[in-house]
Amino acid sequence: MPVNSALFAQSLTQWTQGTWFASVPIWVWALVSALIIIYMLALPFGGIATYVERKIAADLQDRIGPNRVGPLGIFQFAADAIKMISKEDYVPPGGDRFLFNIAPVLVVVGSCAGFVALPLGQYLVAGDINIGVFYIMAITTIIAPGILLGSWASENKWSLLGGLRSAAQIVSYEIPVALSIVPIILISGSLQIGEIVKQQGWHDHFWNVFHNPFTFISFFILFVGGLAETNRIPFDLPEAESELVSGFNTEFSGMRFGLYALGEFVDVFVMCALVTSLYLGGWQIPFLELDKFWVTLPSGLIALIHVSFFLGKTFLLVFVVMWLRWTLPRLRVDQLMGLCWKGMVPVALFNILGTAIWMWAFKGQSMLQVVSGLFSGGGGSH
Amino acid sequence: MTNGMKWILLIAELLTVGSALIVAINPNILYSAVFLLFSFLGIAVMYLFAGADFLAGVQVVVYVGGVTILILFAIMLTQWLYRLKLKDIGSKFVVPGVVLALGLVPFLHRGLTQLGKMVQAAPPEKMAEFAASPKTAMIGKALLTNYVLPFEAVTILLLGALVGAVWLARPKA
Repeated sequence: MPVNSALFAQSLTQWTQGTWFASVPIWVWALVSALIIIYMLALPFGGIATYVERKIAADLQDRIGPNRVGPLGIFQFAADAIKMISKEDYVPPGGDRFLFNIAPVLVVVGSCAGFVALPLGQYLVAGDINIGVFYIMAITTIIAPGILLGSWASENKWSLLGGLRSAAQIVSYEIPVALSIVPIILISGSLQIGEIVKQQGWHDHFWNVFHNPFTFISFFILFVGGLAETNRIPFDLPEAESELVSGFNTEFSGMRFGLYALGEFVDVFVMCALVTSLYLGGWQIPFLELDKFWVTLPSGLIALIHVSFFLGKTFLLVFVVMWLRWTLPRLRVDQLMGLCWKGMVPVALFNILGTAIWMWAFKGQSMLQVVSGLFSGGGGSH
Repeated sequence: MTNGMKWILLIAELLTVGSALIVAINPNILYSAVFLLFSFLGIAVMYLFAGADFLAGVQVVVYVGGVTILILFAIMLTQWLYRLKLKDIGSKFVVPGVVLALGLVPFLHRGLTQLGKMVQAAPPEKMAEFAASPKTAMIGKALLTNYVLPFEAVTILLLGALVGAVWLARPKA
């Protein structure tokens, strides 16, 4: 059976064709790539992100932050993890043990599974699924039941309020997020993230955020909607320390709390990586295409440069997410819903219409192509 | 299909059917909702094996991300619903339920045997080619050519539902 749905490490099988690797059954590859994703991408990122967040918070508040464990305190996250693992495995007596156990797992699974379809470099992707964007949208919806069930199983009013808020928020903000992905699909004619990124080269129509005025707006809608979907400030009503103790994770301690925190950070990374891939050209280098360079670079070096550009852009967005945390106050519930339904959804719909009209009027050319077409005298050059 | 893939399919089937069974017989209605989620996920995996990747995505977005959340919401916001036990409903629905379920069997059997005949009649290399081809573009073309009238009818229905929801949610003057 052909592995078109590529949940099972399609690119690995293509890469190994003709070698002894090809005789290894596909589920082994699936397992290996899942472990690589979890242990080499998700866990280190989630761990280091907690340290970076504390450091950035300290810098913004003119404090020192963690500085004891290792040089500049960079092993703080490992110390935290060891501490959390060695803590008592506590379930509140009135709570529901089964749901309490599976809820954090749903959150981590939902956020880590998003990594599968993210292209880190031109050929570096666990599975370049042909419904990639849609797959990430779909698999990250498992996070919402995870938070909701965890809050219910805690048998705590604060938790339940936080969980209900979170579910309402995620379900609402999924709509502007999905609607602001649609202009990109109109432009690239594909749901495959690898293909979408490939079309954003300098010799093609450059980054989608500069494709036309409407995509410029919808980039911000996607980013802000993503903040709300990942429960980050200014949309962290599910946690709201000043009202709900600690929101949906009040009763969680030890590694279960750690899983929630990890899931949130990984979700932030996946969201920022998705925004980067869709709007900021993913691994594409601005003003330059290494394939069309005047010297031929070794493919390993090209891959390395691509990955570093992708991670650089993504981490820049992650930094903005952390920076906003100490900049903006939290929204009220009615403001949150009002922003979504009265602000972002109509603008996102307008963007879809605008992009469709732009695609029709300028035959799919980007702003830069239209402008350069004017100077080269007549007609689109691409 | 390789052996490993068969095992994955078997696990997905067991997940779907087992979870559906728990949904039906578990006395706690919240657990029924949770296992409904796993059942939906299992169905999505089966769609993947049928080569319907877009449908699998829709299954997860609509049923896991939408329907299950709404069911959980309804249970959590309704006191008597959470305390509801299977035996409170009484046994009066058991006999009609069993009769209905048995009545469905001939239809399912007929549909599945016909599908099996169609699959056996198709040349295997054509099937492999079809399974590997991207379905999203096909669905889009079909919706905007052959099925454009039903598509538009459904959009009007959904718009009506949206307007109705807004009308219901408005404060009474």
